[in-house]
Amino acid sequence: MSRSEDWQGLAGGYVLGVLEGAELAQAERLIGADPEFAGMVAELADRFNALDDTAPPEPVPEGLWSAIEGRLDATVQLTTPGVVPSRVSRLTERRKLPMPMVPALRWGLMAASLVLAAGLGYATAFVTQGRPEPVVVAVLLGDGASPGAIVEAYADDSVRLVPLDPLSAPEGQILQVWTLPDAETGPVSLGTFSQGGQLRLAGPDLPTPQQDQLYEITLEPAPGSPTGRPTGPIVLKGFAKAPLL
Amino acid sequence: MDMHKSPPADGKDGAAALLERIARGDKIALAQLFEREAGQLIAIARRIVYRQDLAEEVVQDAFVAIWQRASLFDASRGTARGWIITIVRNRALNLVRDGKRLDFVDGESLAELGDRHAVTEAAYGALPERHTLRRCLDQLDPVKRNSILLCYVAGMSHGEVAAKLDAPLGTVKAWIRRGVIALQECMA
Repeated sequence: MSRSEDWQGLAGGYVLGVLEGAELAQAERLIGADPEFAGMVAELADRFNALDDTAPPEPVPEGLWSAIEGRLDATVQLTTPGVVPSRVSRLTERRKLPMPMVPALRWGLMAASLVLAAGLGYATAFVTQGRPEPVVVAVLLGDGASPGAIVEAYADDSVRLVPLDPLSAPEGQILQVWTLPDAETGPVSLGTFSQGGQLRLAGPDLPTPQQDQLYEITLEPAPGSPTGRPTGPIVLKGFAKAPLL
Repeated sequence: MDMHKSPPADGKDGAAALLERIARGDKIALAQLFEREAGQLIAIARRIVYRQDLAEEVVQDAFVAIWQRASLFDASRGTARGWIITIVRNRALNLVRDGKRLDFVDGESLAELGDRHAVTEAAYGALPERHTLRRCLDQLDPVKRNSILLCYVAGMSHGEVAAKLDAPLGTVKAWIRRGVIALQECMA
């Protein structure tokens, strides 16, 4: 079978939304790494949009817009190197990043040393320029079609989480961040949160994060896993890579 | 380029201009995009998640994601409207694929499955006759065409299509793969 047929099958499966597991990961990797493949996907998706265009618009319920509007201030807008935020918007952002996402914490096995950084100190800390580089970075994937969050792990045991899709836990539940330093230690909780926005977790005292170290987010009963180990379904999961410096 | 797009005819350019403003933190632009697209996006999501409340939840999350990620939209890699639809579709697909964890599973009735089939037929029937996708779908075996439409329009997985068409999973996977390759050859 030719590479071109392989790619057409993969691009087609991706656009149809039927890929899973290794094939989905391969398609996502190629979209990021290969402009030709990304172009095939974009062109095919554009063609298939004709089917979406046939959907007769439905009434928009009152209140939907205000529900969206109410979430905007707590959502930090991502910026790319090409988009330089003005000073004004940067200051506004800084004011916005804050405490509402500070969750209740369940102290697990390693809890004595686990501190969730909270409040103004940490909020300003991670918008300050010139902060240290992360030791490893992990892109966490759901089993759907797109990356859901980025984790940056630092030498001081802290972790910065940047959701790429809105994340929120249903009532009575909470999202808990874990890492697996090594099989012997087992999964260690880095902290919990109930809904999206960037946050920084001052993780427990652990060995320096390694290449290929597992990071994941699970859905747990609030205020956190009752056992100190992941018990709920995995929402997002990924393996760390050391960034090129 | 495809000249047979359905309305809104100004969808591409208008949405791109709005995204640019949204990336700069302009909430009014997001409100305008919502005003223009929300009704159809709810309909697109509902084809996949089936339930009205879930479709609205998908669209709510999608607009927050659009707000968060507007600066990542790259016009050289597709249309703005396509980008927005992809966000809605991916969220809807994640919701149904993650069904167990989000308590989505209510036990889908046969009647509902029947409805989903009717919806995909209606979407196919509503494609303009001269549209390239329509022309190429017309050339496929009906069983391949149906499988592809059930995946794309109703968001079904391989397994759901196999159950729906009462065919072996491996056969259905092959139909979809061969079908979608043939479509790309036809549309090239």
